[in-house]
Amino acid sequence: MSTAGSGAVRLRALPGWLGPLGWLVLLLALSLGMGWLEGLLRLVEPDSRQVLYARASFLALLGQHVLVVGVASLAAVLLGVGGALAVTRPAGRDFLPLVSQLASIGQTFPPVAVLALAVPALGFGTLPIIVALLLYGLLPIVRNTLAGIQGIDPDVHEAARGMGMTRGQILRQVELPLAAPVILAGVRTSVTINVATAAIGATVGASNLGDPIISGIVNGNTAYVLQGALLIGLLAITVDSAFERLQRRVGRRGVQ
Amino acid sequence: MIELFEVTKRFGEEVAVDGISLRVEKGELCVLVGTSGCGKSTTLRMINRLIEHSDGEIHLNGQPVRTFDEVALRRRIGYVIQSTGLFPHWTVARNIGLVPRLLKWPRGEVRERVEALMALLGLPVAEFADKYPHQLSGGQAQRVGVARALAADPEILLMDEPFGALDPITREALQHELLDLQARLHKTIVFVTHDMDEALRLADRLVVMRQGRIVQQGPPLELLHEPVDDFVASMLGGEERGLKEAALTRVRDRMLPLGPRLLAHERVAAQAPLHQALSLMLWHRVDRLTVVDDDDIPIGELSLRRLVGSKS
Ligand SMILES: Nc1ncnc2c1ncn2[C@@H]1O[C@H](COP(=O)(O)OP(=O)(O)OP(=O)(O)O)[C@@H](O)[C@H]1O
Ligand SMILES: [Mg+2]
Repeated sequence: MSTAGSGAVRLRALPGWLGPLGWLVLLLALSLGMGWLEGLLRLVEPDSRQVLYARASFLALLGQHVLVVGVASLAAVLLGVGGALAVTRPAGRDFLPLVSQLASIGQTFPPVAVLALAVPALGFGTLPIIVALLLYGLLPIVRNTLAGIQGIDPDVHEAARGMGMTRGQILRQVELPLAAPVILAGVRTSVTINVATAAIGATVGASNLGDPIISGIVNGNTAYVLQGALLIGLLAITVDSAFERLQRRVGRRGVQ
Repeated sequence: MIELFEVTKRFGEEVAVDGISLRVEKGELCVLVGTSGCGKSTTLRMINRLIEHSDGEIHLNGQPVRTFDEVALRRRIGYVIQSTGLFPHWTVARNIGLVPRLLKWPRGEVRERVEALMALLGLPVAEFADKYPHQLSGGQAQRVGVARALAADPEILLMDEPFGALDPITREALQHELLDLQARLHKTIVFVTHDMDEALRLADRLVVMRQGRIVQQGPPLELLHEPVDDFVASMLGGEERGLKEAALTRVRDRMLPLGPRLLAHERVAAQAPLHQALSLMLWHRVDRLTVVDDDDIPIGELSLRRLVGSKS
């Protein structure tokens, strides 16, 4: 493909990314300029002396939040996709039932409970929340990777082997590309849930966008709660719409 | 050349293939037929080692398949299956070029080869190269499947009910194309089918299997005339074997030169199979046809007596 051609493609793809970009801009703008909303917030909390959460800058909290979710999600993707791939190989197939069961049990486990278990083991701070998010985010990724790999037409697999592709070639050129849309959907669920779930990290001393919410609840200041919730919501929408774009790009080719 | 010596395949307790011996000469088209579950696909898949045989030996050109690296072996053997197994996320051209790319052919050569094969199988490059499999009809997809199998010019071709899912007209067209290809390329082919007409039309050697064993093998006409038992006779068409045989004989082989009599009104092509001449006679209620060549010029005549092959 010529450079001019790919340039044109990139230009055409841009409008699609305007959605996620727009949300991102709104998110950053509000993190920097929550003060603009002071009037509105006053309406919610007319009696409080202070309506703007000021213990830390929103931008710093947002950064912390993104960092925690990012690290946990990255680890969850590596572990989840890697694990699910391992148990769909001939050598690891014995563990397939075990892993699928663990994955579905994991979902019934509330994240708060994971936190409660993680704190005694890992202490207060950022680490337990990362571990909790990692464990909690693992499930949809494992489940979807398994579904994606197992959903591939067995005849495609048969043909790939019959043509003389090695296991590695089949994995990289056939299984992963064909399962990618399903895997990506799992990652999207995982990350979006974790953006919201990370807020409970504030209860164990991780400072992130959950802080204003917790402190709002503790001090009976609804305005604080609103600010935290607003930013978390915007972050979740930004992330989710970015994944939506990504999924559309990945899913566009071939497979219907 | 493919040779099977007393080859057995067991899945646990079940014996899927039971001590079969078979020899397919270079350039020969061998067709396996038999009831469902009799081990045809298993036999095919043991040849390219998608399944390992339990007992016996399989040789390619005199060398046991077990001594080959299995991946290298499969790249040397074309494999076509009923559902095509085309990669849905790859274009037609990329699908066809798979094995040459696996063999690390230079990029230009792969492209040339893909285009040559598309031309060979009647798939215009401009129209089809960039299509995805889901945009193809069943017949087109199967052409792509055959092209992919032929891409690295393998000596051996294994075809498992390749035309089974196609309508009769497309199927017949592809059968003729396969025969044309075979006349030019002289591959060693093992072909599985449930369609006895297809089997008779294509086979140099016909192999009838039942419950993991070979019941009879030989040239199609031999099996038609001398089936070893009722099973083979009924596989080959039972009471309709006369028509099956007529399908294998050409009008040209039975016609007489033009005589002094008036030309019969109804015509039949010299290249047509005999059962077609019989059908024309039944249809027009006549017992004589004029035989014409490709240019529709009368070259002989065919009477019912000659057609059925009665003496005198
Ligand atoms: N991977 C396998 N594991 C266990 N049993 C198998 C396996 N593959 C085939 N079989 C069994 O081996 C026998 C022969 O199967 P095969 O697929 O070779 O039959 P076939 O002649 O190709 O049948 P069809 O005409 O229906 O395609 C069947 O009884 C089948 O159940
Ligand atoms: Mg079969």
